[in-house]
Amino acid sequence: MFTLLALAAESQDSVVSELFGKFGVNWPYFIASCVNFLVVVFVLKRYAFGPIQAMLEQRRERIAEGEEKLKLIEQQLAESEQTTAAAIAKAHAEAVRMINDAKLGAAAFTEQKAQEAIAQAQQILVKADAAAKADRERLGLELKREFGRLVAATTAQVAGKVLTPEDQRRLNEAALTEVEA
Amino acid sequence: MRLILPTTALWLLTPLLARAAEEGGLAVQAEPLWPGLPITNSMLMVWISVAIITVFCRAATKQMALVPAGFQNFAEWVVEGLYDFIGSILGPRLVQKTFWFFATIFLFILVTNWVGLIPGVGTIGRYNAHGEIVGFLRGGNADLNMTLAMAFIFNLLWLYWALAENGVRGFLAHIFAPKGQFHGLMRLFMVVMFLAVGVLEIISICIRPVALTFRLFGNIYGGEQTMEKLMGLVPKSLAFLPALPFLFMELFVGFVQALVFMLLTVVFLRLICEHTGHDAH
Repeated sequence: MFTLLALAAESQDSVVSELFGKFGVNWPYFIASCVNFLVVVFVLKRYAFGPIQAMLEQRRERIAEGEEKLKLIEQQLAESEQTTAAAIAKAHAEAVRMINDAKLGAAAFTEQKAQEAIAQAQQILVKADAAAKADRERLGLELKREFGRLVAATTAQVAGKVLTPEDQRRLNEAALTEVEA
Repeated sequence: MRLILPTTALWLLTPLLARAAEEGGLAVQAEPLWPGLPITNSMLMVWISVAIITVFCRAATKQMALVPAGFQNFAEWVVEGLYDFIGSILGPRLVQKTFWFFATIFLFILVTNWVGLIPGVGTIGRYNAHGEIVGFLRGGNADLNMTLAMAFIFNLLWLYWALAENGVRGFLAHIFAPKGQFHGLMRLFMVVMFLAVGVLEIISICIRPVALTFRLFGNIYGGEQTMEKLMGLVPKSLAFLPALPFLFMELFVGFVQALVFMLLTVVFLRLICEHTGHDAH
């Protein structure tokens, strides 16, 4: 059995060497081909795959980083929107309160000013009334005086004599009594 | 089935390719540029691909900005697209550890395949002793050494990642231990059964680099050979014409083969790391 196997192996060896011989396979060319291929492997690994994969990895990291940042920004934006909405609501409430305060203040001020105006108007009225009364009295006195003078003058011209102060006084009183009646 | 198909394809493909080479056209093996110089036309093409990739990478990553533009934008689109695609199969933890390798596999195979379609590759060269043209340039993956090197390096890394993820015990358990819960005699039967399955799995694992190697080589070499033969069918002044439609197809094949190679390697890693990975969930 072992002899048969050895014979088979021997014949296999001769077939293989004949085959390789026909196809021009020999050690120097085979080793040169291996070296050539290993050079390609080195060149591609060193100058192509290495830098390109590093660049792809860098880009992948940048994209992942960008995604993370985007998430963070979205989160911050949401938080910011919430904060802004809260601030707006607070400002709105504050503004409403201030407007109400202002309205109340304005009403009170208006009322105060109205009261002051009324008081001033009343004072003006009182003063005007007093002035009018004084004027009326003054005019009345002047009128009486003028009327008495006219009556005395008329009486003097009608009677053709000069009236004494006593006559003039008496005439005046009589005339004024008549007019006032 | 996974074992049978690639093995069958390998045994069928080998004589066909060898016969095609014997009948003239594109040689099945890469040829030295000058006799005595251990540099083949395929190797030169691989260096050109490496130079293109290097220049593009430098242009894309020289002045990187947070807001990408131009080359950087395109490079980022490619890298991010590949990362997400591989990550959808391997899960977030495993893709972080292994992305550099799978992305390199895809981009390197793609660039090498497409650069190999530039007019002049395989047609500008010198005449050999038999009066046939030996192109100064030849598709990088139309050399079995290159595809074998990639498959070999993957297998080493696969073993390292598998052991790092599972530990030695977990790695062996993943291959040989019974899956499921069994008791009594059934358990004994399953242990024996899964030991046999484990042996098949080991053979399958050993076949994987061979299948990866020949699949890529066969497709690219086959495409170049097809175009070479088609160009020989018409007068030299019209040689470009019959190959033109196949040029577009080869663009597609170049992309598909890069994708298939990368996908298979990704899936192989996923399969061995599946049961332990938190990523699988």
